[in-house]
Amino acid sequence: MTETAPLVLVIDDEEAMRDSCSQILLKDRYRVETAKDGVTGIRLVRDLHPAAVIVDLKMPGMSGFEVLESLPGIDPHIAAIVITGYATVDSAVEAMKRGAHDFLPKPFTPEALRVILARSLERRRLVLEAEALRKEKQLLEENFVTMVSHQLRSPLVAIQQNFEIMLAGLAGATDDRLKAMIHKANERLNALLRLINEWLDLSRIGQGRFVGAFQRLDVRKTLDRLVELMAPSARDSGVSLEWAGGSGPAFDVMADEQALEQVFANLINNAIRYNKPQGRVRIDLRDDADSVIVEIQDTGIGIAPEHLPSIFDQFFRVGRPGDKTPKGSGLGLSIAKKLVEAHHGRIEVRSEVGVGTSFTVRLPRAAAGGAMAGGAPA
Amino acid sequence: MTPNRAKILVVDDDPDFREAMTAILTAASYGVVTASNVSEGTKAILSERPDLILLDIMMDSLFDGYSLCHAIRSSKEFECARGTPVIFVSAVRQIAGSRFGFKGEDQGLSGPEDYIDKPVKPADLLARIDRFLKK
Repeated sequence: MTETAPLVLVIDDEEAMRDSCSQILLKDRYRVETAKDGVTGIRLVRDLHPAAVIVDLKMPGMSGFEVLESLPGIDPHIAAIVITGYATVDSAVEAMKRGAHDFLPKPFTPEALRVILARSLERRRLVLEAEALRKEKQLLEENFVTMVSHQLRSPLVAIQQNFEIMLAGLAGATDDRLKAMIHKANERLNALLRLINEWLDLSRIGQGRFVGAFQRLDVRKTLDRLVELMAPSARDSGVSLEWAGGSGPAFDVMADEQALEQVFANLINNAIRYNKPQGRVRIDLRDDADSVIVEIQDTGIGIAPEHLPSIFDQFFRVGRPGDKTPKGSGLGLSIAKKLVEAHHGRIEVRSEVGVGTSFTVRLPRAAAGGAMAGGAPA
Repeated sequence: MTPNRAKILVVDDDPDFREAMTAILTAASYGVVTASNVSEGTKAILSERPDLILLDIMMDSLFDGYSLCHAIRSSKEFECARGTPVIFVSAVRQIAGSRFGFKGEDQGLSGPEDYIDKPVKPADLLARIDRFLKK
């Protein structure tokens, strides 16, 4: 953004003083605003965000001292300079104590005003610069993983963008064979993008930064939403989704909604993908004394007993001969397990080859009697 | 270029992406201006007066898109462009799903009119642009 001259606000009840300060400053190419009392001055500081304030200590109504005291609340780094006719050491010390950067005894020369203002503004600039650097550094630290993943993904997305241009026929005619190849290439890129995403999730979970604030939520509603969301993909795969639906008692847990959605979405998605044609996925919701229990059962190919212990390991994938579905990254279940554990829950798996697999997620029930703002239970 | 079609500014740090957007937009006979960072974008907004802005989010720094969008909505400098529709075009949401650790509204920043994920499907992009520019 373009550099503009610093704005200086002169607060003084004497018109002559406001005028002479303005003249000196305007000649030095500052932008200048003036106020004839403290209240107006404070309002202008709020509205115009000046870089510096030159304020007379002795004014009727709100004094210069009071103005000084209100400044940090509006802009902690504003360059504050006081001018006064009774330049005693006491009032100078008092003004500095209350946040003034510098002190200008009346009468002063234009040169004195210039020097003192320049010095205060320079100090402000340095403080702001240090502040900005600190913020930038903090931002980088907090978002390091996001930055890295941005760098990893950008070239892939650029490739996909070029594919889109080709598919839209904007780069000359494309025949069906070429289109099919582009689709295939795109699929591989998507798989790589998913892998990067999941790796990103894992490293966030590792940093303890993935799971956000817990709130009370009804698992039934979460599942209801997800089932609706995933119904089309089940239909496309010829798999029927069995879910009792959104009516019934609420099963409240304390959870990060997005994290929980990710867990169930992953499990349901797996159950659909690794199912048999005309297979079924059954989602059950129940509770016991201290847990809310979600069970996701499929009628898929099942997992061999020797593979079961490794199923939640990172990058573990069960090879399936003749498998045409695109392989997952091998991170999904590992992420699901970590997320469930972050909610003080447990995830278990049972499976029988040729019959199907069942994942059970247990989450601690939310303590009864949470705030039920508005709306009676159905 | 038909002179009566609208002019669109593309602000993105990726040259391939700017080229791709230009291909899509010129094929739909829009006028296209490109900029590769916030300061170029600022200049282009003021000098070219685009009818719509396609804005990347992560450029030189993390939230360039957000800050430029916010400036367009609120700073005096951009008074002439305040009502110009802004569409974010970014892979940010995809990158981190809904987990992207920054929400404009949390920082009191004004958001864009719309959001499109990269890679952009030409038909989708044109449909969204149409919605804003239809007289």
